[in-house]
Amino acid sequence: MADNKKLTTAEILALARQQNSGGGADADDASESSTAPETSQAPVPTEDKKPAAAPKSTADILAAARTQGGEAEKPKPATAPGSTADILAAARAQGGGAQGGGAPKPKPAATAPKSTADILAAARAGGGSAAKAAPAASQPKVKKAEAAPVGDRPALKDMVAAVKEAQASGGPAKPKLPVGKPAPAKPKFPSKKEKVERRKFVATLAVLLLTPFVVAWSSMSAIAAIWSLGIARFMMPNMMLELPSKFKVGPPSDFPPGSVSAKFKASRGIWIINTDEYEGQGIIYALASVCTHLGCTPNWLEGEQKFKCPCHGSGFYITGVNFEGPAPRPLERVGISIADDGMLEVDKSVKFQEELGQWSDSKSYEVA
Amino acid sequence: MNPHPDLTVGVIHGLGWLYLLLFFLNLGWTVRSYKVDGQYESLMGIKHAPKALVWAAYSALLLIVTLVHFAVESDASNFKLRLPEFIKNPADAVIANPISFFCLSIVIYAAIILLRKWWVKPTVSWVLFNLSVLFITVSMTDYDFRKIVGKPDNVPIVGMLFLVGFTTWLYFSKANENDRRIAEGLPVREKELSDQVLVWPDLVYTEMICMILITALLIVWGVALQAPLEEPASAVKTPNPSKAPWYFLGLQEMLVYFDPWMAGVVLPSVILVGLMAIPYIDFNTKGNGYYTFNERKFAISTFLFGFMPLWTGMIVLGTFIRGPNWNMFGLYEYWDAHKLEVLNNVNLSDYFWLSFLELPLPKPDPQAGFFSQAGSILLREWTGILVILFYLFAIPPLLAVTIFKKFFVKMGFVRFMVLANLFLFMASLPLKMVLRWVFNLKYIVSIPEWVFNI
Repeated sequence: MADNKKLTTAEILALARQQNSGGGADADDASESSTAPETSQAPVPTEDKKPAAAPKSTADILAAARTQGGEAEKPKPATAPGSTADILAAARAQGGGAQGGGAPKPKPAATAPKSTADILAAARAGGGSAAKAAPAASQPKVKKAEAAPVGDRPALKDMVAAVKEAQASGGPAKPKLPVGKPAPAKPKFPSKKEKVERRKFVATLAVLLLTPFVVAWSSMSAIAAIWSLGIARFMMPNMMLELPSKFKVGPPSDFPPGSVSAKFKASRGIWIINTDEYEGQGIIYALASVCTHLGCTPNWLEGEQKFKCPCHGSGFYITGVNFEGPAPRPLERVGISIADDGMLEVDKSVKFQEELGQWSDSKSYEVA
Repeated sequence: MNPHPDLTVGVIHGLGWLYLLLFFLNLGWTVRSYKVDGQYESLMGIKHAPKALVWAAYSALLLIVTLVHFAVESDASNFKLRLPEFIKNPADAVIANPISFFCLSIVIYAAIILLRKWWVKPTVSWVLFNLSVLFITVSMTDYDFRKIVGKPDNVPIVGMLFLVGFTTWLYFSKANENDRRIAEGLPVREKELSDQVLVWPDLVYTEMICMILITALLIVWGVALQAPLEEPASAVKTPNPSKAPWYFLGLQEMLVYFDPWMAGVVLPSVILVGLMAIPYIDFNTKGNGYYTFNERKFAISTFLFGFMPLWTGMIVLGTFIRGPNWNMFGLYEYWDAHKLEVLNNVNLSDYFWLSFLELPLPKPDPQAGFFSQAGSILLREWTGILVILFYLFAIPPLLAVTIFKKFFVKMGFVRFMVLANLFLFMASLPLKMVLRWVFNLKYIVSIPEWVFNI
């Protein structure tokens, strides 16, 4: 139980600090919003109301702290005037809190000698904090703050009294708190032997926990390294080198008059045609098997003696001239010539379009 | 044995299931008819016979037909219930001919609008539905019909046709109701019931049931019909026929009549932009938020013309009728890759120079400069260019002062011009189709030198 209690005070202080940062901010806001002259006049008449709103949260927390960890701090005599008592309690709470985080406390004291509550709290925080330099620093500040509300003597007296009281009571209160804090911790800490054992245990545990990660990461990086070798594979792409655009298709005797050879359609996309239907002269020429409408591959229909496209029904005569369907122009010829060895050589890199008058070019046909 | 049998035992049993389904549907209709339809004064001597008797007799007939189908165990080729040849051949002749096919689709479109009061009646539409199902079941006894309609690719299109029919019926039945109310001076149906929104549980349950049914349908569909995969693609081998996805078959059909950049770029863009422009060119404030036909005759007739004969009709044409080499085939016709159709298409310039003037075509000299070439090209094509310019620039003003006079007054110049041009672009497809079929006209303006053909 005692452990619990002492532990809870620590927790409560943490809580208080948390709420201070929340509720305290509100208080700061409130004090900031109220102008300085107001606060200087306010102390006596409005002491009950004004500060009451601001430190309420801390006071509440402190009260809660006292109920739970009452031993740690000596409760203030209830006889003290309610408001000041609250303020003092709050101040002490802040002073106690300042031990942990002394930094935030001096700030309000330094920046805002606005509300008496703040001033008191700051004074006590300064005086009560563990740092010895702090009281010296804060006390003058308090005095300065006191100097401001000179107009209200009772308040000043009260305040001074309160400060003294606080210093008197805060003095003993402080040593108690630090004592109270380590007190629960010390019995809790295990002896040195235990410590060592636990350290060992922690070390083993760490090793046990980390080993799989180390193994996994190192094996993964190893695999990744091996895989990255695969990039070298891209230096030798699995591709088919483009066939040369010039290729031999055989001797002219392979293509008798009136014939359409689809022998090279699948591999090279051309027909070799020998006919005299174009301008009456027997010629051999090569037509690209690409429909001039949308680029499908037409078929040669021997029975109807026409090229017919399966996509939109375009039809072409054996000459390649379009006559049905939507194809707007004749099929294109590619270059053809007789090589030195007497073979027909097709050159797909050049095109001859009838509508541009290119079929009269002698490179587009060979006289059969 | 015939490798392409019209009928097999499996097909007959399948048809039996279809008839059974139709029997149950009509059984339900008989019950509805008994409750709703009333009775005849006198039917074949029976006085006060309920009209449902006819439906009951029809359902009984369907049940008998079902049993006959299920009874077949062997010898399917001698099964008598099949589509006779003397019906198949004329039907093929009508459908495989583009002119009669297009006329048929226009007639159906006109009938949908003109007979809207009649065909939307519950009994009439039910009879029409029965006829359409019977048409399919009877046609299924033909091998070629079964092959093309039963293809996994095409089954959803058959379903889509029924869906189009249903939505059209739904629209017209609601529009008729509202038109009647408006004529009688009553508030429209949507307004009268506007304060009643039945959400829970009506709408939510309906949605849930629809969701379950659709899911079940998709599962059955996915299990029953195999994915229509084809052989690996090859750059040098084009499937014959080579068909676009079904929803693009209308565009593919346009490509038969237009140059690729017209049918593939300009006209689809005009369709999209035109649909987007409808709210801005529509000056008719009526028909907002309720179904009506009489108050929006022009808008709905125009839309239906674009949707039924042009879009849906072209999809049907592309799916079921276009065969090898993009020739047209009847529904019961064998897809012969060597079907000979003579289509000697001629450009307008050929008609003008060769047939009319009997002169050779002016040919641009490839060696000459650009302006000389352009001059001879324009000389060759001036008739077509004139026709196109007249169509796009002279017809809108002509429309404005004649049949669209009221529109022009109401819409103002800009909106009217947009409407007129969209209208003309839409009309260009059927016009070009008719010109192709009747005059074998290939291109009105044909300048292959500049890749410009209209």
